[in-house]
Amino acid sequence: MNTSVKDTMESTFAGWTETVGNAMLEGEARMSTRNTDVFYGDKQAIFGVDLDIGKNEVLAMIGPSGCGKSTFLRTLNRMNDTIDICKIKGEILLDGENIYDKNMDVVSLRARVGMVFQKPNPFPKSIYDNVAYGPRIHGLVSRRAELDEVVETALRKASIWDEVKDRLDQPATGLSGGQQQRLCIARTIAVSPEVILMDEPCSALDPIATARIEELIAELSENYTIAIVTHSMQQAARVSTRTAYFHLGRLIEVGSTDKIFTAPDHKLTEDYITGRFG
Amino acid sequence: MEKMTFDKHTSAQFNAELEGARKHLMEMGGLVEEQIEVAFKSLIDVDTDLAEKAIKMDKNVNKMELMIDKETTQILAKRNPAASDLRFIISVTKTVNDLERIGDEAAKIAKQSLELAESGSGPQGFVELRHIGEKVRQMVQGSLDSFARLDADAALAVMHQDKAVDLEYGDAIRTLVTKMMEDPRTISRALSVMWALRSLERIGDHARNIAESVIYLVKGKDVRHKKLEKVAEQLRK
Repeated sequence: MNTSVKDTMESTFAGWTETVGNAMLEGEARMSTRNTDVFYGDKQAIFGVDLDIGKNEVLAMIGPSGCGKSTFLRTLNRMNDTIDICKIKGEILLDGENIYDKNMDVVSLRARVGMVFQKPNPFPKSIYDNVAYGPRIHGLVSRRAELDEVVETALRKASIWDEVKDRLDQPATGLSGGQQQRLCIARTIAVSPEVILMDEPCSALDPIATARIEELIAELSENYTIAIVTHSMQQAARVSTRTAYFHLGRLIEVGSTDKIFTAPDHKLTEDYITGRFG
Repeated sequence: MEKMTFDKHTSAQFNAELEGARKHLMEMGGLVEEQIEVAFKSLIDVDTDLAEKAIKMDKNVNKMELMIDKETTQILAKRNPAASDLRFIISVTKTVNDLERIGDEAAKIAKQSLELAESGSGPQGFVELRHIGEKVRQMVQGSLDSFARLDADAALAVMHQDKAVDLEYGDAIRTLVTKMMEDPRTISRALSVMWALRSLERIGDHARNIAESVIYLVKGKDVRHKKLEKVAEQLRK
């Protein structure tokens, strides 16, 4: 960390004690992090985050670039395992089970905690095979008819069935950006996850495709827990039920989206969402 | 939370737009204060020129209303304001509405002074009118000051004053009714005074609304339709 950033952090967080708002839920949480630190080598990216993600809630994580929101999201299904220098401390629980426990099977974890990325990343295969891939490798289905049904259900849930049902054997890469992203969501849903993580899922899409994904998020929230990282504050306001604000690796404030966007308690949250940052 | 400011946005243009709306709201407030003063003086002094002036001033108040509404609509459409900026725009919109209504009431008072002048005598003896008028004028001034200084406590004080005005209004009406019963020849004049009193009382209500908007703006708390003790308690939190 260079000195100027470190100085800024120290002055910003002089007197910083704890997250404002309701980071911890009273009811049952689907996922919880407790005193979670994340390091890249000797640089600390996340500082002692305690946060619950409730069942059937859409949690939006917002904050300026480099605030750690994506890093935090990626720790929730161990995507950071592939980065050698990345170290995680503290606990991250899925249904009360520590996902960093050495007995945890990472492959099945990622089926339970699915992820949708910034840029749609369909496999260079047919539309059908993209969705069927997960159920096949996880051995979720034994017969072709069953697989057909899983694929159709996932595509329907992702609101893309009507657009692709007549060309399931065609390459997924031929779809438009918005369709590809919904296909990726279908691919995630196909393995019946409990949690869906979304890392700026609309940043490469036009406003109409974005609106469709947002509509889809609202529908999916009935059955899944969703955590979404977004740079668009309006999107966070539209799709989420709870919003978490990150700043320089700290979780500053968590609250109902209604409250965060009308009367946040922390000055840093206020400054960020009103465009007074930087 | 630290003192609110509206001038630290990354977008200087946004700062300028918010400042424009704020400045025009304060101008409109000043205009309405002056209008109340002129209308009230026309009533007490039975001055038809002043009454005409107060009625004419309403046109400018209406113009300001249209202008500020246009500004806030543009900000909503273009800037997607959030948090304190959103509360600011909501408060400005509501306050503009209240100020315009205050202007209407001031014009009504001026019309009653024209009626009284026509009937040949002023509202002599009606001490209450003078007293309530002064209180209401202070309330409007206080509510606008609290907006300018973003001072929730000053706004709460205005809400307290409104309660006092409402009580005095009730007393004044009873006194007038007694006078009318004692001497039916005074009925026509007493009715004009009653209408003027009613307008003053309504102005007080609008000043209270403005004070409530200020509390929402500063504290993010909606204190409408709440007992004053509850409001005070919420502000202490």
